[in-house]
Amino acid sequence: MEIPPAIAHVFAKFPLHTFPPIKPLSGEHPDVPTLWIQPPPSDSSRLSADVECLKWQAYLALRGLSKVALRWNISPEGAMGHLPNLHLANGQLLPAKLIPTWVDETLEEPERPLEGYKDQAALDESRAWVSLLEGDVHAALLMAQPSPSYLMSLVTFPQVPFRPLESIVLPPPPPLSGLASLIRPYGMRIDTEHIESKYREAISAIADRLGTDKWFLGSTDATPLDALIFAYLHSVLHTGNHTIRIEVTRRVNLVAWELRVRGLVSVAFTRR
Amino acid sequence: MEEKPPPGLRPPLQNSSVPRDFEPDPRDIDKIRTWQQQRIEKKLRGEYESAVLHLSEVINSNLTTPSQISSVRIEGAHHTRPSFLKFLIDRLIPPPSAENDLESALHAARHIADALQRTDIFAAVDAKLERATAVLAAKHDVDLVFTTRERGRFMMKTATELGNNEGSASILAQVRNVFGGAETFTANFSHGTTTKMAFNATLTAPLTSNLNTYGEMHLFGHERDLSSFASCKEGVRGAKALVTRAPSRGMHEFAYEAVLRHIGGLKDEASLSIREAAGQTVKSSVSHTFQLDNRDDRLFPTRGFYLKTAHEIAGFGGDAAFMKSETHAQMSRPLVPGVSVSLAARSGLLWGLNGRPTLFSDRFQLGGPSSIRSFRANSMGPRDNFYVAAADSLGGEMYWSAGLSVISNVPRKPEWPIKTHAWVNAGRLDNVDKSRSLQDNVAACLSKPSVSAGVGLIYNFDPVRVEVNFGLPLIASKSDGSRRGFQVGIGLEFL
Repeated sequence: MEIPPAIAHVFAKFPLHTFPPIKPLSGEHPDVPTLWIQPPPSDSSRLSADVECLKWQAYLALRGLSKVALRWNISPEGAMGHLPNLHLANGQLLPAKLIPTWVDETLEEPERPLEGYKDQAALDESRAWVSLLEGDVHAALLMAQPSPSYLMSLVTFPQVPFRPLESIVLPPPPPLSGLASLIRPYGMRIDTEHIESKYREAISAIADRLGTDKWFLGSTDATPLDALIFAYLHSVLHTGNHTIRIEVTRRVNLVAWELRVRGLVSVAFTRR
Repeated sequence: MEEKPPPGLRPPLQNSSVPRDFEPDPRDIDKIRTWQQQRIEKKLRGEYESAVLHLSEVINSNLTTPSQISSVRIEGAHHTRPSFLKFLIDRLIPPPSAENDLESALHAARHIADALQRTDIFAAVDAKLERATAVLAAKHDVDLVFTTRERGRFMMKTATELGNNEGSASILAQVRNVFGGAETFTANFSHGTTTKMAFNATLTAPLTSNLNTYGEMHLFGHERDLSSFASCKEGVRGAKALVTRAPSRGMHEFAYEAVLRHIGGLKDEASLSIREAAGQTVKSSVSHTFQLDNRDDRLFPTRGFYLKTAHEIAGFGGDAAFMKSETHAQMSRPLVPGVSVSLAARSGLLWGLNGRPTLFSDRFQLGGPSSIRSFRANSMGPRDNFYVAAADSLGGEMYWSAGLSVISNVPRKPEWPIKTHAWVNAGRLDNVDKSRSLQDNVAACLSKPSVSAGVGLIYNFDPVRVEVNFGLPLIASKSDGSRRGFQVGIGLEFL
């Protein structure tokens, strides 16, 4: 219902006196672009313990950006969508999917042909590697993470992961209760051996394909696929699960490559 | 000798009524029945009063008879621990003394019956004095015998509600006298589409034999939708242990609370400050609350005084470390018949400790129909994105508010539960600037009040009060969310 113009005119005169706004203590905009990530495993590190955040850290660093600040005191619930988010100096908050656009605008580079890959075949092949990493390797990494105790799960508020295990594993895992059960399906029955077997094959294939190349698929410069591989290798090398970790540590070329790229990625960031 | 005539024969069932009894016409059977009933009641009442008079004469003439209480028996308390009953009545029995008489025994019986009824365990308590049965008892010693009937121990209630595009189901269970010591366990659980889940379990037990002090244990959890003022939801799970003491004046509450708070479910347009506040925090705190209420009515006071002070210190583990102090006061006085004036004031201070910032869940919120009227609910004080529609109220660390209301009956309808009132409200919610002294902060807060005024109707919709007001903000901060025109409020406490 619309207010009659005469009344609206009278109402507009109120309040009769206005004090300046009361400013909040929080919510200040940064001086430099700041990437919100999940915290690193230790204070000395600048690389997030979360593989999703690390992917974007590596992407920014390998695209040639530097002096990007990091902030890890924002809870995942506070992110726009999911972490990471990029907080710009003008106050704008970008979700992860808009980061490539911002990078293109910031670097003012002409669009790279074939996304930086050496030819069309390499570009096509990169899609298969992305699928392998985000499927088999990611599933093994999720499985290696310790799950919270039952008591803690009752007390604390559950945090739904960005990509839960059941959405990655193919075929989708069956429920714990059984298909013919009278009670409602709950939980999931994970075939750990199957996941580990596929993970071993994936790491072996990555090591073989990388060989002694500087960048994956023989590219002259780093590509988004290199950022992805670095994120997974770094996360695997820092996981507490020995079975998962040893598959990478036994391959010298992967360890050396991860060490070299880690140096490049780390220097691109400063802590806010 | 002259022979006397024989007495006349009178058949049975003669009318024996006396005209002074004002008996009605015998042909009107209904009136006759009513008259008979009243006559019987009158007779019984007379007999009862006579018996009571006689009994009181007997008692009064024997009040000074030396008499000891030989024993106290409580019958019918099948689910109550004897040790609890002993704990309850021991202090009420006068110790053996030559000065004890029937009067002291009667007083003891009255106090014990009162104590038994205050436990809320018994549906009925009847007291009797019997001659003492103990072998060593003196001639005039007595036994106090209480015949009781316990209340039902278990109660369960379920409810399902559908409507307004939401549905909810709730279950309430209560167990009385759980361990035989007047403990009460109450559990409440509800699940719905809007309020996802709420539960509360409480165990209450008396701690002292005078039943003035109770201990309580709470386990609770709920989720509140704060999106109307802060673009988020808050989930709370916690435990609270408290001791309440209610002496003759006022009520004290000492509590320890451990709470897990979760700010989540952010709206897409949530401000940066709310994003920074998101996540889980833990509060571990001790608190003291004092409440004094001698108003003649809780919702429509016309006379009396109300005071509530609450102090809380957090920082015994967890993320929150603060000292919080809050005071509510209200005074009502009648001006002329049918018109009363009410003056209410509230204030609060939240002081972060150990260099830690205060948290969103702990900060004060101000504004709204039950707070400062003509401002939107929780829309005052520091706000982020206040220049757009989706402003987030972040809460403040210091506030004051005051309200003056003149309440009167509806003209020529004093019996109506609806009243009229005219009001002026003022207040401010701000942050504490720790670079300045507390006095400077308070002075700055007092010197820039937001003020509103208006008139309205208030309705006593017991147990809540409903208000419909027309008001306008006269002075406001630029960041305040004001509401011009009509505003409806429902609540228990108003400014």
